[in-house]
Amino acid sequence: MENQKDTIVIGVIGSDCHSVGNKILEMFFTSEGFKVVNLGVMVSQQEFVDAAIETNARAILVSSLYGHAEIDCQGFRELCIEKGLDPIILYIGGNLAVGKTPFSVVEEKFKKMGFDRVFPPDVDLKQVTELLRQDIKEKFGSSLKGQRARDGANQAGPENQNQTANQISQSDKNDSKEPEGSKSK
Amino acid sequence: MKTLVSIDIGSTWTKGATFSLTASGLELLERVSVPTTQNNLVVGFHETLARLLHQDSHTSLEELKDRAEVFFSSSAKGGLRIAAIGLVPDLTLQLAKLAAMSAGGKVIKSFSFSLTSSDVKELEQLSPDIILFSGGTDGGNSKYVLENARKLESSRLSCPIVYAGNRAVAEEAINVMKSREVIVTENLMPEIGQVNIEPAREKIREIFLKRIVVGRGLAEIVELFGAQPKPTPLAVFELISAIPEFYPEWSDLAAIDIGGATTDFYSNTESYLETDTVVLKGIREPKVKRTVEGDLGMRVSARSLFETGQDYLQDRLREEGLEFKDMEEFVGRISDKIDYLPVGDKEKIFDRLLAEACVYYAALRHIGGWKEVYTPQGKVYMQTGKDLRRVKAIIGSGGFLSEERTAAVMAIPLKKLRNYGEEIKLLPEKPDFYRDRYYLFSLLGNLIEKYPREASTLAVASVEKLNQKGEQND
Repeated sequence: MENQKDTIVIGVIGSDCHSVGNKILEMFFTSEGFKVVNLGVMVSQQEFVDAAIETNARAILVSSLYGHAEIDCQGFRELCIEKGLDPIILYIGGNLAVGKTPFSVVEEKFKKMGFDRVFPPDVDLKQVTELLRQDIKEKFGSSLKGQRARDGANQAGPENQNQTANQISQSDKNDSKEPEGSKSK
Repeated sequence: MKTLVSIDIGSTWTKGATFSLTASGLELLERVSVPTTQNNLVVGFHETLARLLHQDSHTSLEELKDRAEVFFSSSAKGGLRIAAIGLVPDLTLQLAKLAAMSAGGKVIKSFSFSLTSSDVKELEQLSPDIILFSGGTDGGNSKYVLENARKLESSRLSCPIVYAGNRAVAEEAINVMKSREVIVTENLMPEIGQVNIEPAREKIREIFLKRIVVGRGLAEIVELFGAQPKPTPLAVFELISAIPEFYPEWSDLAAIDIGGATTDFYSNTESYLETDTVVLKGIREPKVKRTVEGDLGMRVSARSLFETGQDYLQDRLREEGLEFKDMEEFVGRISDKIDYLPVGDKEKIFDRLLAEACVYYAALRHIGGWKEVYTPQGKVYMQTGKDLRRVKAIIGSGGFLSEERTAAVMAIPLKKLRNYGEEIKLLPEKPDFYRDRYYLFSLLGNLIEKYPREASTLAVASVEKLNQKGEQND
């Protein structure tokens, strides 16, 4: 059932038009069983929020590659709260600062701005997926719907109550083709 | 040879025409107008039909009926009054407005997010003909939709509600609104950015037939002629849709219809051309689009037009060397007496300026724009709304523009729009201007369903190309 998947909104924020990584992310998260709403490049905060409201999304995953993320993301969490999206999960990843700022500094900065998780450009997307599933489960209760839908079995047995990374990797094996871009770039 | 009659029952005039249909096509025989009889539309309809068929007015409708194939439309007091409810203003609400307008309706009010109790009160006061109720993608947000459904249920509204929101909770929404007449149709926006307004349009049309027709005598006509009326704007919409199908050289087409109460803008052209340097924001608008402006009109809406159009009018009055307060006086006069005809050169200019302002603001709202953005990858344009750059022909219709012999009334305001704000308006680049010489578009639109090719052919043949230099043609 299509509408049982967890919906996530992705896009590249600001005046950034790097579109390749964005398409890879869409393919990857779709193959991981999420319902992906891809807003493409040059997305404003307002567009992210609007799309998340209409689709009842669990998370917004913001990409930025051109170094201006800090400016583009000012007030993002506040806007979400203003618009009634209080529990929404906010992730950000990419080249988040210009120059050689250590990642820990960058991470702290964006967490202070209200992002739940911050990722460097070379993060393993598998890891992101697992964290995302965890976070969705924590914030919205019964999650892993995406997983269930993806398996197609749809037998709501007790094992679904407590799905683990083990099962996730199991179902990954069933996928004949691994998405190419396991690394975001 | 077959005789066809097409009648359009407008808010002030009932217009009609007879056509002969032969193997070689459709030909206009005669065109008449009589005042609309508001309390019983049949009287004016009867008179129009009798005059068109050269019968005396005592001939019964039954007798007249057998003498021609009759088609008709009704503007239903200036169009169906639709209230649009959506979730996010730029997404589902925007589509609800587009769907309502493309179905021949007039959006009297729109609401986003949650309806407040004062919103509900306002709705009750406005008493719309239809509520178009949307919100949420399929499987998406249901909170607002269900909350609004509960509010509609407990309101004192009695009009039908077209539900075109989140499909996943459609049944639940019907259950909530169990004492209402709810018509469920496909979601206007099943996915973010996916535009699906046709099913809702169709439902609105059906309701128009069933509901609005009852009461002012139209039902009698429907029964007698075995044919359903069209909403007038929908007739024009269908004509604008059909013409390029038969005449590809007329693809990329726009039409402006200025009436006493409203200004309608139609376009038939691809709304967005994807390139590396143009990024579309918001929804991708439909290829055939109609917008209707209830505050722009030559008489009934002259006062609101004068208010909306201040900036444009001040600018033009300065160019024409005329006084603002003189025009204000003129607008007062025509608003008090809506059948007033301008006297003398000065008043004629005022009248033309009103028409120009209608074109200017209707085009401003219909046509999209580009914003320049500098990115590390170079200059990029962000497009919102519809791109009309490729439109090659703009046709003027309605009482005023059908009579207008030069392109200036349309060309001047469109030219002025080029410098509107910081945004680059996506105006037709090199359009030719035409007029609907015999004011036939709505009448031909009535024939489209049955005689699409013939009606399109006559529409194309009956428009006249206008001189752009400002001289009169004849």
